[in-house]
Amino acid sequence: MDVRITLAAVLLALAGTGCSHVAPYERGKLAHPMMTAGDLEGPAAAHVLAVHEGATGGGSLSESGCGCN
Amino acid sequence: MQLKATNEPRPFHRPLLLSAAAALVATLGGVQPAWAGDKGGDSADDDGTRTKREEGSHYRKKAEEKDPLEDTATKRAGVEFAGYSDNDHISVLTPSVHAGIENVSGASLNGSYLVDVVSAASADIVSTASRRWQEVRQAGSLSGQYKPHDFGVGVGGSVSSEPDYLSYGVYATVVKDFDSKNWTLDFGYGFSKDTAGRCGADGACTPFAVFSRELQRGAFNAGISWVVDKATLASVSTDLIIENGDQSKPYRYIPMFAPDVAPQVPNGASIDSVNAHRLPERPLEQLPLSRKRFALTGRYAHRLDDSTLRLEERVYGDSWGLYASTTDARWIFDLGKRFALWPHGRFHVQSGTSFWEKAYVSNNANGDPATWDLPLYRTGDRELGPLWTLEGGGGFKWYLGSDAEPRSWQLGFSADAMYTSFTDDLYLLDRVGYLGALTLEVEF
Repeated sequence: MDVRITLAAVLLALAGTGCSHVAPYERGKLAHPMMTAGDLEGPAAAHVLAVHEGATGGGSLSESGCGCN
Repeated sequence: MQLKATNEPRPFHRPLLLSAAAALVATLGGVQPAWAGDKGGDSADDDGTRTKREEGSHYRKKAEEKDPLEDTATKRAGVEFAGYSDNDHISVLTPSVHAGIENVSGASLNGSYLVDVVSAASADIVSTASRRWQEVRQAGSLSGQYKPHDFGVGVGGSVSSEPDYLSYGVYATVVKDFDSKNWTLDFGYGFSKDTAGRCGADGACTPFAVFSRELQRGAFNAGISWVVDKATLASVSTDLIIENGDQSKPYRYIPMFAPDVAPQVPNGASIDSVNAHRLPERPLEQLPLSRKRFALTGRYAHRLDDSTLRLEERVYGDSWGLYASTTDARWIFDLGKRFALWPHGRFHVQSGTSFWEKAYVSNNANGDPATWDLPLYRTGDRELGPLWTLEGGGGFKWYLGSDAEPRSWQLGFSADAMYTSFTDDLYLLDRVGYLGALTLEVEF
């Protein structure tokens, strides 16, 4: 696995999204509940993934506890 | 909760009740009340003269002016029952509750509590001649945020407790919106401290004061999110996590092999095969005492006419030599006002740590612990070895609230299956796990 290639692909994809000024009254779609940053998975699923994957990050700073002793 | 003064008229619940009571009394008494004929009781008679109906309305308005307070906070509460089971004989049952309150002033407070009931008889446990064990973990968290305008601060804390493991953490965040919230920066720092102990097979635990290992963790987080267009949001965040302490598991014994035997140990070698070929010594796991972890996460959400596409990619690397990529995708379809349904997919692939070995070598086979020649670092934690996991499933939400606010009551269900391939490991070649969750959430 070449992490550099993956990283470059991610950055390229994000850069490709660009950005534009969208007025508040034009954000009807953005306000849809499913667009919010909150995860659809609950705490149990998040913990199972945290224990089963050697990687971490991208989640909440409040995570604590191993549960895998 | 904040109470906000308002000049808006209150709903006519109380007058309606009074009207109904008066109507009932009048009906029973054969008298038609003058102001019980309409919902508001505030219309004039046919002749246009002032009547008792108007007087009643006048008195109600006077009463409303004396009681102008209205609760503007939004309260949320939810409960989840989740379960996990895999073919390595591990099962976990996790009930949890959470609640929160958010005010129009920008203040919010959230709390959660969960219990993990773990039952395990995995190959790693059986290989050490241990019995199936059960354990209960309790975890709670509390957080608050205040963001009145385009700048906000947040603080939070969490505690997790098992018979042989105690962890607590605190964190703080700041967030700032720019360009009418077209883009947002956020920063955070969290600190946690874990204390790991040891319990016997009979459940008796050695006090932390007698035996314990400590791990301290500092986590820095920075992120940017922005509005891409009228239907698209994107974000990038970075995490730097610095861990100091001994994370070695006090239950994990590592089989050792002679130099000429180790290369011949096959992937997924059975417990019997390992016991037949390993050396007598079986030392405890030993991990490096510090670790620096870095992750870069990108998120993308796009709203279509009747569906929402959410993508996430995380790349990860750490000072132990473990590199990983995790890709997560959900496509959520609206099925009218009452249902949402989504397929979900996730793929995770990682390398092993630099000290990972399927079969560790000991150069001394005479069985005398004083002369063991062991590798400095050794582990049996298969999540530190090379693996990949493919996860697939889905979920739905059923909105049970009123027609005006159908999402005020939500019933949700999700189910996923996970297949993990261990590409350089003892005991297991793969693992199949199932995860399901049932949720009920209320907003009022």
